[in-house]
Amino acid sequence: MLDIDVLQVATFLVIVVIGVAWYLSYSAARLDRLHAKVEGAMSALDAQLVRRAEATLELANSGALDPATALLLADAATESIERTTEHPLAEDLLDGQHFGGREETEAVLTEILAVTLTDDVVARLLAQDDELVADSLDRIAASALRVRMARRFHNDAVREVRRVRQKRVVRWFRLAGHAALPARVEFDDALPPALAR
Amino acid sequence: MRIGMVCPYSFDVPGGVQFHVRDLAEVFIAQGHDVSVLAPADEDADVPPYLVSCGKAVPVRYNGSVARLTFGPVTSARVTRWLENGSFDVVHLHEPVTPSVSLMALWAAEEPVVATFHTSTVRSRAMHAANPLLRPSLEKIRARISVSEDAAATVRRHLGGDTYIIPNGVHVDRFAQAPTRADWVGTAERPTLAFLGRVDEPRKGLGVLLRALPSVLDARPGTRLLVAGPGDATELLRRADPRAAAATEVLGAVSDTDKQSLLRSVDVYVAPHLGGESFGIVLVEAMAACAPVLASDLPAFVRVLDDGRTGVLHEAGSSASLAAALVDLLADEDRRNALRRAGSERARIFDWRPVSRQVMAVYETVLAGAHAELADAPRGLWGRIVRNVPGGGA
Repeated sequence: MLDIDVLQVATFLVIVVIGVAWYLSYSAARLDRLHAKVEGAMSALDAQLVRRAEATLELANSGALDPATALLLADAATESIERTTEHPLAEDLLDGQHFGGREETEAVLTEILAVTLTDDVVARLLAQDDELVADSLDRIAASALRVRMARRFHNDAVREVRRVRQKRVVRWFRLAGHAALPARVEFDDALPPALAR
Repeated sequence: MRIGMVCPYSFDVPGGVQFHVRDLAEVFIAQGHDVSVLAPADEDADVPPYLVSCGKAVPVRYNGSVARLTFGPVTSARVTRWLENGSFDVVHLHEPVTPSVSLMALWAAEEPVVATFHTSTVRSRAMHAANPLLRPSLEKIRARISVSEDAAATVRRHLGGDTYIIPNGVHVDRFAQAPTRADWVGTAERPTLAFLGRVDEPRKGLGVLLRALPSVLDARPGTRLLVAGPGDATELLRRADPRAAAATEVLGAVSDTDKQSLLRSVDVYVAPHLGGESFGIVLVEAMAACAPVLASDLPAFVRVLDDGRTGVLHEAGSSASLAAALVDLLADEDRRNALRRAGSERARIFDWRPVSRQVMAVYETVLAGAHAELADAPRGLWGRIVRNVPGGGA
């Protein structure tokens, strides 16, 4: 009688332990996947920001603009490129989960693009029929659009990570390990109206 | 790029989501991409070559109208096979929380997933009830698109978070260049009005328009109402005012080219919808065809008409308000001409060229993220077992 009870209890306990272990692994894997998604989204955002800055620098150096405008654009674009080449993503221990405080720099570039590339200026640039200029304008528009998208997708992934990390099972069993809590990236990423089409 | 698109509604039945998926697929195919669309369709139905049927659809009451959906184990197996055979770069699901094939594909997909939300109908109970079940699957979506502000608000309310808004597309040129048809063109004596949509679906508002018609006929006795759309109108017309019924010409379901010609020909396109519209693609089509638009003041319609700048608005559900607006508009040719110009200008931002460019930009952004992530994805037996949890995916 006693033997059977012990066996039953032992079986039951083993099942419970397996169940709990599976659930913990599953939760950890789910969280890991979400962290990876944030990381991927951040890297996509980073790549588009680099493209936007490079295209802007190209336009500034094309000689098609007046020197004051060109200098403004070049200055903002160079600042952005310098900040990315510091490799805040590759080196940081937070594993691509944060933006390295670049919001201000990128917001400045957005603002400079908006004030310099007015309808008038863009129309005049396109009228020059210079393939290089038209190409860099195209690339500024394309990368600025993708920056907008990537930032939203990133922030959405951040929201998901944060929600899962609030769950009790995640906090009690420290399933997040040492991964930093990712934060939303907020900066003005509006397209220059003349390029929004 | 290899793109797999999933449409939850039956492809052989007309509908906004179906047309959106069809047009988007065809635009991408024309641009040289490889597109396969998975959707319910009858075995013997005449379907385009890029369509893969996931089985016969069953009519189910959903979202305020009867939708033709598929579900069950056979469909599930077909979804898995389609994903395996397709080896897509990206899978684009439409209406991912509809209990149909999109949801199954979301469950099974291991590819980067993009999802588009079309509906703005409040379905809080169903969405909330299903939430814990759907959460892990929904986390697989890397990019969420809404077709309108209203659809985005629905997502925010029920699922939380932001979506990127990309409007529905229209082939503007096809409407702008469609030929007019003599018997649909209105004259000063006999102006023509157009109504488009399922006639037997109350929320499309044909009833409101029929009740408004007698007052319009008082002012303009020769007015003709041309009704195009599937469904049986006899009952509605029998109950309507006899003068309104006499002024109404039922065209039945019309082809795409006839629809384009109808909108090109008429003096006013009327959209008396009562609700449940998240976008109002027909309004854009009417504007593209240079038809003056008179629409109910649903939030989605107000937005499509640029706060009423490119169309006239009336109080939704009020036949008196509709009649007054119609009489005014029929009396004012200058206003109609101004609306034709403003409308065709407005329609351009909904052209498939800019719209498809934005969708492609979403795909590229998502792929860039997925590739970056792949570089350091953990591997191993235990990881794979855990990752292959139903609904969890990889």
